[in-house]
Amino acid sequence: MIWIGDVLVSKGMGGVYNERMLGGARVWDPVRSKLSALYYTGNGVELTPHMRVLYLGAANGTTVSHVADYVEVVYAVEFAPRPMQDLLEVSRRRRNIIPVMADAAHPEQYAPLVESVDLLYQDVAQPEQAGIALRNCSFLKTGGILILMLKTRSVDFKRKPAEVFQETIDILTTGGLIVQQSVWLSPYHTDHAALVCVKG
Amino acid sequence: MQSYWFGDVNDGTCTAFIGDPDAIIQRVRSISTSTDSFVPLEWDQSVRCGVCRDRIDYLSKLQAVCITAAEQSIREQYSKKDAELLQMVRTLDEIDNVINLLSERAAEWYLIRHPSFSRKYRRIPANALIKSIREKNKGALGSVAAEIERITETRVALAKEVSARANTVLPNTSALIGGLVAARLLSQAGGLLALSRLPGSAIQVLGARTALFSHIRTRSPCPKHGIIFQHRRIHNAPREVRGKVSRVLAGKLAIAARLDYFRGVIAPEFLDSAQERIDATGRRVGQ
Repeated sequence: MIWIGDVLVSKGMGGVYNERMLGGARVWDPVRSKLSALYYTGNGVELTPHMRVLYLGAANGTTVSHVADYVEVVYAVEFAPRPMQDLLEVSRRRRNIIPVMADAAHPEQYAPLVESVDLLYQDVAQPEQAGIALRNCSFLKTGGILILMLKTRSVDFKRKPAEVFQETIDILTTGGLIVQQSVWLSPYHTDHAALVCVKG
Repeated sequence: MQSYWFGDVNDGTCTAFIGDPDAIIQRVRSISTSTDSFVPLEWDQSVRCGVCRDRIDYLSKLQAVCITAAEQSIREQYSKKDAELLQMVRTLDEIDNVINLLSERAAEWYLIRHPSFSRKYRRIPANALIKSIREKNKGALGSVAAEIERITETRVALAKEVSARANTVLPNTSALIGGLVAARLLSQAGGLLALSRLPGSAIQVLGARTALFSHIRTRSPCPKHGIIFQHRRIHNAPREVRGKVSRVLAGKLAIAARLDYFRGVIAPEFLDSAQERIDATGRRVGQ
């Protein structure tokens, strides 16, 4: 990862969402992006130029654009039409973003489009987040990494975030993943946790 | 055999999919793979197929196909009848907010200019007050009042359009509860499909989110009605039967929304029986 002083940046064409520039690089704000927050609060995962990434819950393409600055190709899956409009605009200006309009809960819809990937990144506001991650693990190479941004309030707002957190770790472990890092993203994002897992 | 966007692969031999860009997009949007017999896509098969020259060519072709397919999906979603109604009714509610805020502020400003003025004991409707503010004041305050009157006209016209549109998009729901309230239900649910999938109990408390969540979190009583309170049958009903009437009405609305989604035309026999049932609930317990 590229740090200028203690600021995380990515190298690419700026102006995607009026992000700040620093020494010609795009500042990757931990308050706006959960993945950036992971690099500030935990160790994160080193993004390398040869990586192929499947990104579930791409939304407006803000974080996607930073990931695309680091890696070879990002398959960006988003379901809702409104954010997809913005994501398409970002894709038109970056050769390595493949926008896929489909439901991350139904990987069979986009299996004919997506190749095996080194990194699976998931940030979806669904109750069944761990299940969606496991179903998408068929795209992950052996030894590949899953980063699950766990929105505990989307799983069940009545239960304590810590409970949901532990339960999700159990589901992922039972599903055959090895959880390597588990960090809360506070103070940048409340009740959000990041789980970094390896497919054994 | 595995089907990918560029062709079919069978035991290592690849048959390219031949067709114009539109046909490829059609294929991308229709094929799906069963996950049990899933074989991950290998991009170099597309080269063996003769579809792509190299990795760069592969990615750029795939990107072009995916972008066009997504554009088509977006266009389809937006051309559904409910998409624009959603924006119309949200704009209407937003305008109401703006009118209220500005009117309040203009009235406060007017009070400063006329220290002896008070609205107490005088029952001045807001629009009459705004009119007199416009007539009696020059400069910015007068033009703010004029602006409020103009946007009020827009609001009236928009409300008519919303209710007319709701009558075509939600014929049955509108017949039960009126176009405006039906459109607000649609806006809260997020679309016709979403509304038609809601159970009656959810429709009953749509728009009462704060009360509902505080009910679930603490032991506060649950809300009896949300948006549907705006309908005369609920707010005119005697207090002790309001909960009953709103439950019955919400149940019928859930059926009406499903009729609207799946049939899209008015269902007179359902409406008659529903109206009677709702009226009966108010009457029976009211006596």
